[in-house]
Amino acid sequence: MVPVLLFVSFVTFGLVRLAPGDPVLIVLGGRKVDPATADTLRHQFGLIGDPFSQYVAWLGRAIQGDLGNSYRLRQDVLGLIGDRLPLTIQLIVLAIVIAVAVAIPLGVIQAHRRDSAVDYGGSLVALIGLSAPVYFSAIVGVLVFAVWLGWLPAFGSGDGPLDQLRHLILPSVALALGTIALTSRMTRSAMIEALSSDYIEAARAKGLPERTILVKHALRNALIPVVTVTSLQVGFLLVGSVLVETTLGLGGLGSLITDSIQNRDYPVIQASVLLLSVAFSLLNLLTDLLYAVIDPRIRYA
Amino acid sequence: MRGYAATWRPRAGLVAIRRSSLARNRAAVAGLLILLPLVVATIAPWLLSGQLPNAQDLSISLQFPGGEHLLGADKLGRDVWARIVFGAQPTLLGAFVVILISGAIGIPLGLVAGYYGGRVEGAIMRVLDALLAFPALLLAILVVATFGRGLFTVVVALGVIYVPAMARLVRSVTLVQRTLAYVDAARVLGFSDRRIIFRHILPNLVAAVVVQSTIDLAYAILDIAALSFLGLGQQPPDPDWGSMLSDGRAYLLQNPWPAVSAGISIMLAVVSFNLVGDGLRAQLDPRERER
Repeated sequence: MVPVLLFVSFVTFGLVRLAPGDPVLIVLGGRKVDPATADTLRHQFGLIGDPFSQYVAWLGRAIQGDLGNSYRLRQDVLGLIGDRLPLTIQLIVLAIVIAVAVAIPLGVIQAHRRDSAVDYGGSLVALIGLSAPVYFSAIVGVLVFAVWLGWLPAFGSGDGPLDQLRHLILPSVALALGTIALTSRMTRSAMIEALSSDYIEAARAKGLPERTILVKHALRNALIPVVTVTSLQVGFLLVGSVLVETTLGLGGLGSLITDSIQNRDYPVIQASVLLLSVAFSLLNLLTDLLYAVIDPRIRYA
Repeated sequence: MRGYAATWRPRAGLVAIRRSSLARNRAAVAGLLILLPLVVATIAPWLLSGQLPNAQDLSISLQFPGGEHLLGADKLGRDVWARIVFGAQPTLLGAFVVILISGAIGIPLGLVAGYYGGRVEGAIMRVLDALLAFPALLLAILVVATFGRGLFTVVVALGVIYVPAMARLVRSVTLVQRTLAYVDAARVLGFSDRRIIFRHILPNLVAAVVVQSTIDLAYAILDIAALSFLGLGQQPPDPDWGSMLSDGRAYLLQNPWPAVSAGISIMLAVVSFNLVGDGLRAQLDPRERER
């Protein structure tokens, strides 16, 4: 875990430093300034010395929770991210809830009634969900539900908890589509496999009700690959949220990243990419731990 | 509660296998049918559109579909159909090159890692796994923002970012092949490692690599479109689906056709590669065929 994080921080820092253009000149935005002032700024931004010692100094401060100041907004980067993060987390959590609530029942029903109209319908939905880019689903969602039907707000993040939730419905559904597709596919195939195994035959022979067989016996075993796919999806949701937020004008972490890239606001780019990658790695770790909870065999292995 | 007899199905029999693989083939044929015009648009766009994609005529700005302009015109009065047709090339050819790059680097790495095992494998896989610590598109955004926007940077960045997936696949297939008798036989005959890897094992990877590449093409199309949607890919005024979709947002309420046409084009391209990939897998992968 630690080497991975070191690598991630090194690449993030290194890439940003490789970018052409002097950050100080970018901050000044073309204004003329005497060399002494430029030097002071350079010092302030930690741009003194060779790149490697810059990295070490930056990492040292980062570990203590000091990620520097935004070039553009002259604000503490952590504070800036802290302001934007809740919205992104809400968006992603809502998307996961929607995806799991739709995809797992859908996959179970598909496996249960294999080759039926429901099964084919579900596969078609999955194919579309897998193929539609997030930003396009978001735009179509705006056209249909905001412009034509007028049910939901089109852009922005809203005021007050209820209004904010209303604003989050469209983006989180758009974000959830791809996960719904993958998770329902995975659930379907894992359930088909589980349903054809001996213990299901044994359960049937015991005369257990179909619902118990499906949920308690088959789904429990089918869940392992499903959990893997879903939690790996959270990483894609992180990236998807960047696109959705940019598309629908939501002020979350995602739009902060795209804005900062437009403005070459390096400290913000570094910190947010670092944060997302750390979150991504932690999620992968969490997935491994989740296995043990779902499948006791792994705990003893 | 439904009774046992009503829902109980025997394990898939021969007939069921036939039917489901036939259904898959039909889906693959549908995929190929969608793919055909896309390939024509990529290679010879002028065959599908008489108009030029960058020709402006402000008098028809935001015109709706119909008449001379099949899909209407955008804000600057450019023919949307022409821009869709000519916009296929950056996305599709770009995705193809992404896969070529990832294959050119990933296949040899995977072969060497899988064949030699031990420390060589450990070193190669550790570096590749570290790359996987980043969410792919986020790393691409970072790289492209650093080295300058444009289709070239996008394609090279994605090509490198796709290497770990390809190398992992090749390695896992190689690990299996290595244990087979023909490799031992080749060794006994005194063939060099290089000859065994490239002349004997490599041909046995083709099926797996082709299937994976087809599906990766779908992902590459999505990623290229996403980057150009963010303004990092193909630069204006040249036509490109992602940037058309992005531009179209500004006048979505007046005329949604430019944005929607671009979005549907991306979807069709992705759907077609997914369908063809699934069909190929059904044909080429013996494990899948038994299902």
